[in-house]
Amino acid sequence: MKYNLELIKNKKKIISFSTVLILLSLLGILYSTFNTSYNKPINLGMDFVGGNELRIERFCEAECSNLSPDSVLENLREISKNKNVLNNIKLQFQNNNKLISIRTPYLSIEESNNLITNLDNIIGPLNYESKDSRLIGPKLGKRLLTNCVTSLLVSLFAISLYITIRFDKKYALFALLALFHDLLIVFGIFSWLGIILSVEVNSLFAVSLLTIAGYSVNDTVVIFDRIRENLKSKKEGYNETIQLSVNESFRRTTFTSITTLIPLLSIILFGSYSLFWFSLALSLGIIVGSYSSILLAPSLLLKD
Amino acid sequence: MKKRQGWLFFIIFLLTLSVYLLINYPLQLGLDLQGGSQLTLQIIKEEGKVTKDELDAVNSVIDRRVNNLGVSESNLQTLGGDQLILELPGEQNPLVASRVLGKTALLEFRTQKAGTSTNLKTLQLQRLNIKEIIDQYSSSEKSQYDDNFLNIIQDDLKEIEQELNYSTTSNDLYGKLIEIKKYVDKEITNLFIKTDLTGKDLINAGRRQEQTNSNWEVLLTFSNSGGDKFADITKSIAGTNQLLAIILDGESISEASVGNQFANTGITGGSATISGNFSAENARELEVQLKGGSLPLPIEIVETNTIGALLGSKNILKSLYAAIIGLIFVGIFMIFNYRILGFVSVLSLVLYGFFNLALYSLIPVTLTLPGISGLILSIGMAVDANILIFERIREELYDGNTLTRSIDSGFQRANSSIVDGHITTLLSCFVLFLLGTNFVKGFAATLGIGVLISLFTSLNCSKTILRFFTTYQSLRQKNLYLPKNNFSN
Repeated sequence: MKYNLELIKNKKKIISFSTVLILLSLLGILYSTFNTSYNKPINLGMDFVGGNELRIERFCEAECSNLSPDSVLENLREISKNKNVLNNIKLQFQNNNKLISIRTPYLSIEESNNLITNLDNIIGPLNYESKDSRLIGPKLGKRLLTNCVTSLLVSLFAISLYITIRFDKKYALFALLALFHDLLIVFGIFSWLGIILSVEVNSLFAVSLLTIAGYSVNDTVVIFDRIRENLKSKKEGYNETIQLSVNESFRRTTFTSITTLIPLLSIILFGSYSLFWFSLALSLGIIVGSYSSILLAPSLLLKD
Repeated sequence: MKKRQGWLFFIIFLLTLSVYLLINYPLQLGLDLQGGSQLTLQIIKEEGKVTKDELDAVNSVIDRRVNNLGVSESNLQTLGGDQLILELPGEQNPLVASRVLGKTALLEFRTQKAGTSTNLKTLQLQRLNIKEIIDQYSSSEKSQYDDNFLNIIQDDLKEIEQELNYSTTSNDLYGKLIEIKKYVDKEITNLFIKTDLTGKDLINAGRRQEQTNSNWEVLLTFSNSGGDKFADITKSIAGTNQLLAIILDGESISEASVGNQFANTGITGGSATISGNFSAENARELEVQLKGGSLPLPIEIVETNTIGALLGSKNILKSLYAAIIGLIFVGIFMIFNYRILGFVSVLSLVLYGFFNLALYSLIPVTLTLPGISGLILSIGMAVDANILIFERIREELYDGNTLTRSIDSGFQRANSSIVDGHITTLLSCFVLFLLGTNFVKGFAATLGIGVLISLFTSLNCSKTILRFFTTYQSLRQKNLYLPKNNFSN
């Protein structure tokens, strides 16, 4: 099987497609910064802003009865001593009314325990073995955010440095352009997810951005390696050699993406919920990354 | 060929070693997989950085307190320069731990300033009033919790405020009550003068139930010099109307007079009792804190994670299944596309899995949820290396080269791409591990280890196994390496 991607013919289309994707991402980021309640480029989760997240299951005989979150909150307000705790509280029932999940601003462990006791009184009995709670102080949240942003910047810098040393300036520049293209688009998609579905990003999102960076650069490097190798033997013209190299590495790049996507998809479908958005971000990154390595980065190398 | 055989034995040796390690040193599961609580403690220092000595000092105090609490299998680690992480596995409630650990537990003995008796009496009375109101407020049932009840409390509070000439600024009633309590505590403490006797002079603390009622008291045993100091202090105020206060973290927990009979020698014997209406639980907590000593710097609990054992085991099973299903599909994909080569890569991936897990138990790496995702991603990298090699081998075969030659140059020509890819990923892992939080570190560790091992398994193990296969004539037919219909190319 030979592949025949017409890179030279479609250069303009590829570049405009990427430009549209980037503009859409920027639009999401701008909209999110200026037009949402959180006023941030992306909807930061409680890892970064602090807060309390609580998930606990109810013991139910056969099926769990249907309860309205509003009435439960009403009851909670009445029973609780410290009324401040209950400002900004979010309560949801999931999994056929069995699983209760609650989000509040930061609470002390004592207050959080009181909240559960009160909840037990209202809609108990609760299964304490299933309790899953996370309390993050606002100070720590800020620290985590700076920490994640620094890690991202430092490792992007390290990768850029490595590529610049390893390749000529032109190759390095385009490999990095492709890398930032991928990161920006995944970031933009999550900005939009935050606006539309209130999806929040936590520290795992930063991890996924870093992993995407590694993958994307890896994919581009493999194709550029091939281009360099073929240019040395110089059988055909410059542009034709690039197109040939891309077609030669096409199988490898798609196969690698497929074998990486398979475990990720299986985590998305069957894995624990806490890894869902993480796996989704990675999958998106790998798809965008393969596209940019196969089509975008080599197109940028083409001469007019 | 001889050299390859040497490698084969080496690989078999490594595999045996890995299995041995895995049997004898089981994997350590993180709290998110086995259930439990994790507290992150932040050391608070107003100016400058927390020094190594200070960190160690805080660490040892916390360690002593945790041990005295009798928490089983707890684990205390320092994180960065100014944080500690305490892990409590299983169903242990983090509430008690947080109460005991969060307090500085600075114990002081102070003597009352002369001529402040009236002042103190007023404050003591109000302190009692406030305590009563707070108790009433927190023990009241929902049914009593009507406007009438709240009005009474509010009126009481106003009276106290007038009496003390202090007005609270909190927004809600509960906050106001806590605020005025703090104010009174501070005022009382201010009526006493510091002495040189502190918690440092203790050698032990204990507790016992009072004989006259069901309350508990805490017993203090002083060191020799502490006992002398205590005698001197009690001597200086014996028979006067000045009181001796025992102050914990700036709050007076007991004020007592010293009788005239001690005027000559002071209270000797090197021990004292604090009887401040303790419940059994409170007395135990104070005992633990005093035994552990006071913290050199205050700490704050900035993060608490509690994961129920049920959820933990669900997490591990789900992610494990997901990973296994994913890997089986990857294996099918590889065999379908690369035939014998695919089978070789499956074998080398199995080796890869064993080496990884063996290293986890050797180092040891605690396996957490992000750790598992790092492992799964590193498998992606390992498979990628195999694909790069096999694609090259295919090309060589298409070009009409012999099998042995194709295999050789396939490995050789894929080498630089593989090394490049692995290095960029290693760079990210390295940065993540250095800068990341505990959570992120787990991911970086497994991904990094995986990438390193993948360099060995894909470049070496795959080659060795493939060479071993090709020694058999029956396994050397080209159509076992390439789909037949492609030969026409």
